[in-house]
Amino acid sequence: MDFLYARSWDEALAAKAERPDAVPISGGTDLMVDLNFDRRRPDALLDLNGVEEFTRWERVNGHVRIGAAVPFTRIINEIGSLVPGLAIASRTVGSPQIRNRGTLGGNLATASPAGDALPPLMVADATVEVGSVRGERTVPVREFFTGPKRSVLEPDELIRAVLVPVADGPQQFAKVGTRNAMVISVCSFALALHPARRTVAGCIGSAGPTVLPTPDAEQYLEAELADRRLWDSRAELDEAVATRFGELAGAHARPIDDVRGTADYRRHAVAVLARRTLQWTWTEYRRAQR
Amino acid sequence: MTATTAIGAGLNRIEAAAKVTGAARYAGEIPLDGHAYGSVVQSTIARGQVTMIDADAVLARPGVLAVLTHDNAPRLHRADDTDAELLVLQDDRVRYRGQAVALVIAETLEQARAGAELLDVTYQPEDHDVVFAADHPRLYAPEHVNPNYPTDTSVGDVDAALASAAIVVDATYSTPAEHNNPMEPHAAIAQWDGDRLTVYDSNQGATSVRQALTTLFGLADGAVRVLSEHVGGGFGAKGSTRPHAVLAAMGARFTERPIRVTLTRQQMFAMVGYRTPTIQHMRLGADADATLVALEHTAYSQTSQVLEFAEQTALISRLMYAAPNLRTRHRVVALDVPTPRWMRAPGEAPGSFALESAMDELATACGVDPIELRVRNEPSVEPDSGLPFSSRNLIACLHEGAERFGWASRDPRPGVRRDGRWLIGTGVASSTYPARSAPSTAAATALADGSFVVEITASDIGTGARTALTQIAADELRAPTERVEVRIGDSDFGQAMIAGGSMGTASWSWAIAKACRELLHTLHEIGTVPPEGVTAHADTAEDIKAQAQLSRHAFGAQFAEVRVDVDTGEVRVPRLCGVFAAGRIINAKTGRSQLIGGMTMGIGMALLEEGVMDPQFGDYVNHDLASYHVPVNGDVHDIDVSWIDEHDDRLNPVGVKGIGEIGIVGTAAALANAVWHATGHRHRHLPIRPDRVLTSLA
Ligand SMILES: Cc1cc2nc3c(=O)[nH]c(=O)nc-3n(C[C@H](O)[C@H](O)[C@H](O)COP(=O)(O)OP(=O)(O)OC[C@H]3O[C@@H](n4cnc5c(N)ncnc54)[C@H](O)[C@@H]3O)c2cc1C
Repeated sequence: MDFLYARSWDEALAAKAERPDAVPISGGTDLMVDLNFDRRRPDALLDLNGVEEFTRWERVNGHVRIGAAVPFTRIINEIGSLVPGLAIASRTVGSPQIRNRGTLGGNLATASPAGDALPPLMVADATVEVGSVRGERTVPVREFFTGPKRSVLEPDELIRAVLVPVADGPQQFAKVGTRNAMVISVCSFALALHPARRTVAGCIGSAGPTVLPTPDAEQYLEAELADRRLWDSRAELDEAVATRFGELAGAHARPIDDVRGTADYRRHAVAVLARRTLQWTWTEYRRAQR
Repeated sequence: MTATTAIGAGLNRIEAAAKVTGAARYAGEIPLDGHAYGSVVQSTIARGQVTMIDADAVLARPGVLAVLTHDNAPRLHRADDTDAELLVLQDDRVRYRGQAVALVIAETLEQARAGAELLDVTYQPEDHDVVFAADHPRLYAPEHVNPNYPTDTSVGDVDAALASAAIVVDATYSTPAEHNNPMEPHAAIAQWDGDRLTVYDSNQGATSVRQALTTLFGLADGAVRVLSEHVGGGFGAKGSTRPHAVLAAMGARFTERPIRVTLTRQQMFAMVGYRTPTIQHMRLGADADATLVALEHTAYSQTSQVLEFAEQTALISRLMYAAPNLRTRHRVVALDVPTPRWMRAPGEAPGSFALESAMDELATACGVDPIELRVRNEPSVEPDSGLPFSSRNLIACLHEGAERFGWASRDPRPGVRRDGRWLIGTGVASSTYPARSAPSTAAATALADGSFVVEITASDIGTGARTALTQIAADELRAPTERVEVRIGDSDFGQAMIAGGSMGTASWSWAIAKACRELLHTLHEIGTVPPEGVTAHADTAEDIKAQAQLSRHAFGAQFAEVRVDVDTGEVRVPRLCGVFAAGRIINAKTGRSQLIGGMTMGIGMALLEEGVMDPQFGDYVNHDLASYHVPVNGDVHDIDVSWIDEHDDRLNPVGVKGIGEIGIVGTAAALANAVWHATGHRHRHLPIRPDRVLTSLA
């Protein structure tokens, strides 16, 4: 196995262009598991740990631009208040060791429906900056995943950074696992309120082939909030609305039975998480008034 | 009894610094000159025959030295008591999926593993039968249950008593397969020197491994030496010789080089034993005043086609409560599955789940407090055998625990306490575990510089045994612990009990105490220590044979509080409380850790652990730690462990009962009882998964 080492973005792109079969390695918390279990046996690895710019984040035009190799621990500690949904999700990843090593770029590229960073990125309308020697492009997270563990990344492309709009309203993330840490989600749900636009966005994790948006639930809730003038009054949300929102969100789940949970359980749990995250975010929105 | 200074103190582990700095070497790390690596090839069918193994391609690969199969592997000898799982590569039969069918030996671990994965094995598969059920047509009554208890017992007339009982509880409980998974995977490195064999092995008892290897390879007594200075956990999975050690010795003989065999985590799920699934039928009958008139415990379990392991699941019901009509039965079925073995408190752990849940159901049916029910049915002698107890402080544990836990204010009604989305409940269960000792030998030496060396083939599997034995030896020798070195884990020290059955410290301390007393006696006679030192040897075989017939058991009480999420069915455990009566506690710190560890494992048993059998392929699908879940720090909150000051001088010279296993006994029942109290729903099947809870709440 060849081991390629890049010290800059350009070097990394050049190496990837020359060896599209080279598998990038960042934190290694997904890839090393695959290698250990012999699920993958690449001819070459491309180590991205020498690319300094991957480990930086910066604020640009109302966004946070997070380098592909910023680990979860730093997302929590350094930009938690700017991207609260992502920070909440980051706190639920693995264990301290995994959060120290695991990165946003790795989570995106793995493209697992159980990737905990993905639902909050989706509801925050994040975009992914990808590039190759052929040029660079940005892809909305909503369009990034094409199937289980599949994304729009071309063989010669790398993820450079993720551009996340600074939160314009409350955001939440919740997950159900069979234990309290070190657990792949049985299912998860992220929710963002966008008061300025008067929209809401929900996203289901781990209950379908990819992370799944919840348009029916969103439309229902947006209509309810508008009809009842709740954005302005910031009045209490009817329990029935939250419940209905949960049910509609749950209906978007496309779960399977596996050792982590039955499909029925997942559908139900998604509905519960959707209802709860709505109640939490709405309470926060109401408090923000004062 | 000895005056104590060291005993009881919370001495830190003597080898702690060596362990945290990496200086302590485990079996898989011992470097021997010129050693190579063996990688195990496992069968991919559950039943049938190996028809061909084409090793040529693998032998042609770089670094590959040999491929051992049933065609060329050294022939093994068997005695009457030979563990058939150890007769590896002796024939072409496949008896379970994951059985060793070849060993690929190469210069490096990577070359060996790559070869093992590429080895071309052809099978003639046969239909397999891997699904355990209580109505399986091939269930039978074994001759005895593990290790040597009667299969069935009966006192009085259970049927008649049940027919006329005022209150009857009749319920079936089940527990799934559970996997031990100590942190250190099984490993061995073997080296031959003519007809002498040295094996560094990861096990719970070096002399038992020595004996097995001596027999298998047809060697003379004393030709085999087994060393296991440091062992990274066992939970029973290393309680006897396992196939990796035999394979290492075979490989070393074949290649005439030292061979190291280390199992992978995934291989452990098939190759080293696990806890059998159980189905248990309980029938309890009581008078209107909650006095038991009948108790019946029928337990079903599985074994393999390789050998019979019949778990003693119903044993616990023979001694816990005073039922004048008492019947226990065991039935077992041999399936095409890996052989189940010991896992922390075999018998008592699953058995207590059924018995202590049923007692909780009976308390409800009778309308009495669960502690009061146990008090009313406290026996004066062991109900099944009529033997007196050497000591029995169950009631004291229940009362002390009730005090610590705050049981008195408990509202018995189920399903009425709610805090937001959480339903809250509490539960209690009793614990017990046999307190036995087995023959062991030890040597104690006084050196001219005033220090002492004690040698015993004990095994410290992470429990702190080495430290506890040092405390015992120091007190016996009336010396400070710093002047006493206890050497363990070398079969050349002579026969000794394994670290198993919670008998290690009880057995070893006896031999050590005897050797030390003998040594002091000699020193008293000779006055000064000669330059070459002076040694006393002890063997407790005769002492143990001469013991009075008594029922010797440790007891305990466990209390649990749970919070059950009404929407998702998640169960959280804010606190557990365990009070134990287990004789002398040698080391307050490592002793507490043992009990906390047992109770934590009980949380796993209650809520998480479940080996899921794939009926189609015939193996446990979730065979790694990513999908076989044990509790993590986030699942464990407050565990309050304490013990009663118990003096029992009819056990062994130091008054030890053993605490390795009792911690897991009763925990799952206490939790299940608490879930009932929280929700009003009785969970009779473990683990209490969120989906099961949710279905019950719907
Ligand atoms: C014990 C354990 C627990 C875990 N728990 C969780 C959890 O709770 N939630 C969760 O979501 N995940 C979890 N994971 C998975 C993993 O930690 C995350 O997916 C993490 O984000 C991966 O990041 P990484 O940098 O380690 O990726 P790596 O393993 O380095 O890479 C993962 C994949 O991304 C590719 N890649 C990496 N960087 C780039 C780039 N810049 N451009 C293109 N491709 C790239 C790699 O080629 C590889 O295919 C866990 C993993 C382990 C081992």
